[in-house]
Amino acid sequence: MFRCHAPCQALRHTLCALLLAWASVPAGAASEIRLLDDADHTVQLAEPAERIVSLAPHLTENLFAIGAGAQVVGAVSFSDYPQAAQKVPRVGGYSRIDLERVLALAPDLVVAWRSGNDAEQLARLRQLGIPVYTSESRSFEAIAETLLHLGALSGQDQHAATVVAELREGVAELRRRYRDATPVRVFYQVWEEPLMTVSDAHLIAQAIALCGGQNIFAHLDTLIPRIDRESVLAADPEVIVAGGMGEDRRDWLEAWKQWPELRAVREGQLVFIPPSLIQRHTPRVLEGTRMLCDALATARAKQSASALDAAQRP
Amino acid sequence: MHALRCLLVLTPLALLALGVALIFGSVPLSLADTIAVITGGGEPLHRTMLLELRLPRALSAFAVGGLLSVAGALMQVLLRNPLADPYVLGLSGGAAVGALLAMLAGLGVALVSGAAFIGALVSTAIVFGTAHGTGSWTPTRLLLTGVVVAAGWSALISFLLAISPATELPGMLFWLMGDLANATQPLAPLLVLLVVVAVAIPFGRSLNVLARGPQQAASLGVAVRRLEWTVYLSAALITATAVTVAGSVGFVGLIVPHMLRLLIGYDQRLLLPASALAGGTLLVLADTMARTIIAPEQLPVGVITALLGVPIFLWLLHRSQAS
Repeated sequence: MFRCHAPCQALRHTLCALLLAWASVPAGAASEIRLLDDADHTVQLAEPAERIVSLAPHLTENLFAIGAGAQVVGAVSFSDYPQAAQKVPRVGGYSRIDLERVLALAPDLVVAWRSGNDAEQLARLRQLGIPVYTSESRSFEAIAETLLHLGALSGQDQHAATVVAELREGVAELRRRYRDATPVRVFYQVWEEPLMTVSDAHLIAQAIALCGGQNIFAHLDTLIPRIDRESVLAADPEVIVAGGMGEDRRDWLEAWKQWPELRAVREGQLVFIPPSLIQRHTPRVLEGTRMLCDALATARAKQSASALDAAQRP
Repeated sequence: MHALRCLLVLTPLALLALGVALIFGSVPLSLADTIAVITGGGEPLHRTMLLELRLPRALSAFAVGGLLSVAGALMQVLLRNPLADPYVLGLSGGAAVGALLAMLAGLGVALVSGAAFIGALVSTAIVFGTAHGTGSWTPTRLLLTGVVVAAGWSALISFLLAISPATELPGMLFWLMGDLANATQPLAPLLVLLVVVAVAIPFGRSLNVLARGPQQAASLGVAVRRLEWTVYLSAALITATAVTVAGSVGFVGLIVPHMLRLLIGYDQRLLLPASALAGGTLLVLADTMARTIIAPEQLPVGVITALLGVPIFLWLLHRSQAS
């Protein structure tokens, strides 16, 4: 066995040396990629990643958005957008990934989701010598940064810059338009049982603020607080916005109609926004935010109309 | 003779299970690839997969399964109750509260394990302290204390789950069901298992007598009180070790000793090492299924042990009644 081994190793060393020599020529010219991720780890790549494994549905979507879709060789379950992402081989669910599958795909970069993936599993991947880029995007600007980072890591800088410019421009446009709008009190429903909403730290709350809305649960400490119906009734929001179990299920909104005394119900301001457009931290969030802004603008118009009515009445 | 035959069957079975755990995974490796890696060669990718992912996990599974089965066997002798398992005295509850609190505080895996161990010890101390009470000490009293303490822990667990952020919940549920995905250090639990079995075999005769009842044991010259406390504390420490590695894996500790009693009889000198081997084998196989059955999705191993354990146990019970 030893006799077989030694030449093999010698051969491997020679090959390695050759490869290094070959790689060092362009590496000297093209700059090495080096950046700090959202978990404060330095991610370092000698050249743009060719084989990327994505550990979150929204990160898969982001990679496709910046034109790195063809480089994605593995993704977690529920990576369903765009259509092409559905064909990428799966590596398990985001909370427990199948490390074996990830290794077998021989990735040169793993992109991870800090609050979704298991920190220990990410540490194992790093130990095994795979570069891991961890993202945690809780604001529009953070989404833009993640996109730029992914662009740098995948060699799609140009494409990413275009996407980010569009995103930033869209957000700025909404901010300009609704900066001085009359505030509208909004309740955003994340889940039905248990009833859950978002506090101010959440991206959805920032979208609400951008549209000139006031999140009635802004002050709570938890990112996604569990609340009771009573507190919603007490706060009497002017608009109730809900996602749902799927892309087209409005049952949660119907349930609010049993309280006709609620202002949002009385004025018919029960709004459905497909969860994938506003709960996923991707460029598509701009589309969801625009829908939200339109809904709030309608509510605002109705509000001022009824105020006018009241004023005209003797 | 009987003992020798039994171990002659169980040991190869255990090795076979470890082999199965190495060969099967979500990424198929051929027998030749596996053998190449074991003999020191093979492709680097195969080496990492087998030696750094599958082997430590399989060995941890073996250690945890063995520890839980031995602890279950000891508890069943101590409490003279067939329903006793390693967790019957509230130990897993204490460990779970410790672990969930650590997860809620955002601590890393090592600290979560440490907190689980401390929780298990706290629970042991509470049961130990209050069951003592005034007057005499009886298994019934210990059992009742344990059950009530366990109920208290489970209320706390529900409370912690209710107030935890949604992102922490998957990890917490995996822990509560028992999961070996992050078990990478098999050495310590294997060592504990080895020491426990080696120490328990000489005590086997006294345990045999104790299983017949404390009066009989006392009349035969066994220091019953001291033996009972020793058994209790060592079972607690063993379980705490297992829970620290893999969370609270259910069912192994209950069914393996029972299965073996139905198959090989009541002699503790044989039952304890056999429990270690059979429990380890069962958990290695269950964990292999947990990571392959719906791969690439991963299941917590506790789901598999319950799904496998219930029918096997019912069948054995049925068979033993019939004969």
